[in-house]
Amino acid sequence: MKNYIKKPFSLAALLLIILSAIVTAAVIVFITGYILINGIPNIRLSLFAWEYNAKNVSMMPAIINTVYIALLTLVIAVPVGVFSAVYLAEYAKRGSNLVKIIRITADTLSGIPSIVYGLFGFLAFVVALKWEYSLLSGALTLAIMVLPSIMRTTEEALLAVPDSYREGSFGLGAGKIRTIFKISIPASMPGILSGVILAIGRITGETAALIFTAGTVAAVPGSVFNSARTLAVHMYCLLSEGLYTDEAYATAVVLLVTVAAINALSDFAAHKIAKM
Amino acid sequence: MTRVKESVMKCIFALCALMSIGAVIAICVFIFANGIPAIREIGVWQFLSGRVWKPSVNIYGIFPMIIASLYVTAGAIIVGVAPGVLTAVFLLKYCPARLRKPMHTAINLLAGIPSIVYGFFALMVIVPLIGEVFYTGGKGILTASLLLGIMILPTIINTAYSFLKAVPDMYFEGSLALGATRERSIFFAMFPAASSGVLSGIILGVGRAIGETMAVVMVAGNQAVMPGSVLSGARTLTANIVLEMSYAAGLHRGALVGTAVVLFVFILIINLCFSAIKQKKA
Amino acid sequence: MKKFISVLTVTVLMAVLFCSCGGKYTAGSTARGEITVVSREEGSGTRDAFVELAQIVDEDENDITYDGAEITNSTSVMLTTVKGNKRAIGYVSLGSMSDDVKALSIDGTEATAENIKSGSYKIARPFNVCYKEDTLSGAAEDFLSFVMSEEGQAIIEKEGYIKNDTAAEYEPMDNIGGKVVIAGSTSVAPVMEIIADEYKSKHKDITIEIQQTGSSAGISSAIEGVCDLGMSSRDLKEDESVKLKSDKLAMDGIAVIVNKSNALTDISSETVRKIFSGEITDWSQAEDK
Repeated sequence: MKNYIKKPFSLAALLLIILSAIVTAAVIVFITGYILINGIPNIRLSLFAWEYNAKNVSMMPAIINTVYIALLTLVIAVPVGVFSAVYLAEYAKRGSNLVKIIRITADTLSGIPSIVYGLFGFLAFVVALKWEYSLLSGALTLAIMVLPSIMRTTEEALLAVPDSYREGSFGLGAGKIRTIFKISIPASMPGILSGVILAIGRITGETAALIFTAGTVAAVPGSVFNSARTLAVHMYCLLSEGLYTDEAYATAVVLLVTVAAINALSDFAAHKIAKM
Repeated sequence: MTRVKESVMKCIFALCALMSIGAVIAICVFIFANGIPAIREIGVWQFLSGRVWKPSVNIYGIFPMIIASLYVTAGAIIVGVAPGVLTAVFLLKYCPARLRKPMHTAINLLAGIPSIVYGFFALMVIVPLIGEVFYTGGKGILTASLLLGIMILPTIINTAYSFLKAVPDMYFEGSLALGATRERSIFFAMFPAASSGVLSGIILGVGRAIGETMAVVMVAGNQAVMPGSVLSGARTLTANIVLEMSYAAGLHRGALVGTAVVLFVFILIINLCFSAIKQKKA
Repeated sequence: MKKFISVLTVTVLMAVLFCSCGGKYTAGSTARGEITVVSREEGSGTRDAFVELAQIVDEDENDITYDGAEITNSTSVMLTTVKGNKRAIGYVSLGSMSDDVKALSIDGTEATAENIKSGSYKIARPFNVCYKEDTLSGAAEDFLSFVMSEEGQAIIEKEGYIKNDTAAEYEPMDNIGGKVVIAGSTSVAPVMEIIADEYKSKHKDITIEIQQTGSSAGISSAIEGVCDLGMSSRDLKEDESVKLKSDKLAMDGIAVIVNKSNALTDISSETVRKIFSGEITDWSQAEDK
């Protein structure tokens, strides 16, 4: 500590660095603490009843819908994302114009605000294709939204697979397709998984892109052409009438816990990569 | 047979890769096709520079919203960048080993909190606080900037951290060996080497701040007038869309999609800057 | 050195956590200073009705709400804002009133169900259900007759709204099934959900889908045929009422609300008009009439 007394710049810098770290940590603790302290007392078992009705604004249908939408989105986005990453990593010549354009478009997609996605989904799926507010409209909108992150993580994972694996496979007489499906993709599975998990996180927290595409019906839908609200949209709806603030706090806790769980899963997958 | 299969699969892979291009084109087509005619009808200049937004009498000017978006984003940068970058430095060079992992987990948690939860939190905590301190309603540019500054923290920390980490150790050690303090070494040897990373973190933060919707709409006040000071309320482009979209029809809806067009163009510009920086680095 | 940092960090974090449990600020006495006007977004049925009933319009019937007014699209934000801001004034549907805020009497008349029914409280609006008469499905027709029946109206009254006087006996139709899609006003939706729950307990084979999209969107969906029934918390405009038939489901008052610490209990309708149109911007002008 003594060395710092004669060096005002270094001392100031050190203090600032420590101060910002403390501020950051304090902000995190404060936000999570505030939500937990206000939300946990409001969590009741009845909030997880199967039926949503006006007397008991259960979040169970919304939780189920979140799972539905996440699954549907991933069914659409994962094959497309993984295959395009395969193309970029295994087939395309590095630095070709096509690859550049794909990169730029993927970057553009990841930068578009969710409200613009919501508007697009509304104009394209709800209005132009006449699917109305539905699970499908919402899932397609979200699929486009999470596509770039799945593409990027998969591509990184594929590029990290040592070429000796591929060469070994070719040497044993396997074709390119076989090598990709039996060697490259299995070897990069943890990377793909962590991308998928991140995508799930984004889907769970999304509101703006969904209220104009998937609608706000608080029931488990019969088909993909029915409207359904996810958990985040559920919270938005609870707030919009002002009758259920306590329940909104409880929903916030569930969302927070979900996000924490998803992050832990993603860390776990990433840890697996590091081990390879 | 195998060759056919190989080339068929290659085509499928290529098709998937083209999907993202298709998606961007589709988004452009739908947003622009619905927005541009309305902007034309209103008049490009009137739409962009008009200071009055009164859908009930068909006056659509989004200049106050553009200004508000810029103010709020700039505010978020002022609030969020310095703590973010310095926290990244802390994590890299000062953090006790035991604390590093919890800190990372916490920062990722901050990144994952849904924006509606942020908005609710800010409405309950930051709004009354600002209201008490400055004796105002509490909602406004300052509140929104504070909230967005918090929301972009993880983006900035993570980007700055990974770029600082990529700086070869010898820069730091060499500087230490020349007798500089740790701080001096960080700020004058490592930072210049990682500047493009810090800059791209900031740009990503700008992107997130300008596009944020659900949280901002709860705390910004949403007055569609030119903001007088940092304490006065303002309506951002995103808030304008989400507030009125569910009611809008005809020219009003067109004007809202037009708002999205302007937002989209902003994002494209930000992305271009981002890839330019990335190119320069490579 | 490192130990020092860890200890410092932990201490500060604990301190923050404790502050977050404790920090409630105290309420003051009378409101003074600049009025924070809070209004709803353009197109909201509540705003349309409020503006019309409180006469916040110019000679051409155009909305002249003060452009410095805070705008929100959520009743919760409205209530929270007024609850937390001593100088705020806003308005909510009587059905959403909470104890956290105070409703003002207008011209000496309290905002209660009785006063709305008798017509002495002026800021009240109808809740309407609108539909295309010739293409209405059997299920939707049956649901509608349930809503308008004594049973349905009893629920409405229980929820704090003012029921329609022309209630008839409900006679369920036979051989109906399918889905009824209802869309529209977020103010009507909560009570509609309760009625739908009750109805579903009688008709297991009918599903009811309720979309909260806002009055204007509900009306236009009904015109476009996207939904069976549209909910509206305002009267239909002329061009809309040509295309749709509408039934008055209930009456709802709009309460003008202020912070509980505000000493004001009564306000004249003229002052309300002046505050919401921006003529009066300070509480000192509002109190002496």
